[in-house]
Amino acid sequence: MSNRRKWIFRGCAILAVLAIAALMFVIGRGHTVYIDNKTLEYNGETYNALNKVEVWVGDQRLSKLAKRERTSSTVIGQSFEMKLINTVNKGDEPTEVVVKLSLPYSWDGIVVNVPGYLAGLPQEAWMTEFVSAPEPVTEEDELPVDEENSLIGDF
Amino acid sequence: MSKRPQQSAGKSILTFLRNNTVPLMFILICAVCIPISGFSPEYLLNEIITRLGRNAFLILSLLIPIMAGMGLNFGMTLGAMAGELALIFVSDWQIWGIPGVILAMIVSIPISVVLGLICGKILNMAKGREMITSYIISFFINGVYQLIVLYLMGSLIPIAHGSIKLPRGYGIRNTVSLLNMRQCIDNLLAIRIGTVKIPALTILIIIFMCLLIVWFRRTKLGQDMRAVGQDMQVARDAGIKVERTRIISIVISTVLAGFGMILYLQNIGNLSTYSAHSQVGMFCIAALLVGGASVDRASIGNVFLGVILFHTMFIVAPQAGAKITGDSMIGEYFRVFVSYGVITMALIMYEMKKRRQKGTTGELLALAQKEEEKHEQQA
Repeated sequence: MSNRRKWIFRGCAILAVLAIAALMFVIGRGHTVYIDNKTLEYNGETYNALNKVEVWVGDQRLSKLAKRERTSSTVIGQSFEMKLINTVNKGDEPTEVVVKLSLPYSWDGIVVNVPGYLAGLPQEAWMTEFVSAPEPVTEEDELPVDEENSLIGDF
Repeated sequence: MSKRPQQSAGKSILTFLRNNTVPLMFILICAVCIPISGFSPEYLLNEIITRLGRNAFLILSLLIPIMAGMGLNFGMTLGAMAGELALIFVSDWQIWGIPGVILAMIVSIPISVVLGLICGKILNMAKGREMITSYIISFFINGVYQLIVLYLMGSLIPIAHGSIKLPRGYGIRNTVSLLNMRQCIDNLLAIRIGTVKIPALTILIIIFMCLLIVWFRRTKLGQDMRAVGQDMQVARDAGIKVERTRIISIVISTVLAGFGMILYLQNIGNLSTYSAHSQVGMFCIAALLVGGASVDRASIGNVFLGVILFHTMFIVAPQAGAKITGDSMIGEYFRVFVSYGVITMALIMYEMKKRRQKGTTGELLALAQKEEEKHEQQA
């Protein structure tokens, strides 16, 4: 094999690996979607929490949310689909809504407010980024594991 | 007439026993400990299959340096560290599941290659002392790893995720959760037979790796490595670039060790940032030796036999120890003592064999010289 051809092959191999890595970045991005049934205030109007709403993801019932309750689901990729079964008043016929969401790549945790979504509000009203509270610094967290004892243990 | 075949049969049994002392010893230990431990066959089988999937890839990474005559590569720890660094990055980027595992493998490649190159270059400067040198290199690189992970990550190297970073703002936590990629490869295509779970995809990956090693042995580079392993001087005279070949063998081993560590950790489901790699080389080498390999000879069969025997001992020893002595820590110490003991024994046996061979060669040479002298006198 000539030297030039060898380098072309090597370059192509590296490019292929980089392309796979880029693809993994896109298809493997994980998100946690928090589904809220909480009263929402938007532009001075109040959207009340629903009486009872069932959340289904795939074939699995995630939770039956009462007022002010939250459930969560993990998802790999940028699209998320769930089914909401909403019962407005006790004894009413439940209504079914299939929700298809496109998740922002940079957000790890995404909060979806169900009353806001069902009221047909713009996305920025019912979809927000989940920000966890900062942890207090403890001395224990800062110390690496004592290696003396690592000889004994399972492998 | 019947005495000769009897003698040769006795001799061959003795040779067989001498060549397979370690595996036979382990079969004996397992045969004694399994009934004492009281584990059910299903439980044992399940555990052994899980551990086979978890460890076989790591141990396979040791075969190529042995082929190149570089002995047991204690420097595989370097690859393990590269795999861990890659997993930390991938966890921080929040890439989950199988894409996360693949991305971690890709990210680990350049780190492993650089570390393998450093290790290979140093080992070329310490020919004949590769094992102890690679062992010490792994300690040295461990220090560098600790520096990177404890001080540079989060301060110089961007780490965004709060669940990975220490609350002080830099450095990585003692444990990084890999829950989002836990057993993603093991569970895909998994087959259940009764209570026994067979991680089919992991086993397929291991089989593919075995075939790759078999194929590699037949390539030009593989033949060169074998030639270098047999005699460096002869290989050099034959036009083989000995140093380059040795470096390549270490680089391949380091890259494979990185992949192996990622597969291992995806099975475990969490990463002990500062200690996960510390004993990996030792245990893998012990398992390979238990399978009947030696410093200069190892096969794929040794890998599988080693994993099965070594890990059976690992599973049953604490329970057997607890049943015999009433203290499970005795079993814990027993398996650690056996791991180190088996490496020591294999090294001693290798040295003894080498000396015996040297002695036999010397005797044959002396005999040939005497006969030559006799012929000359007669002439």
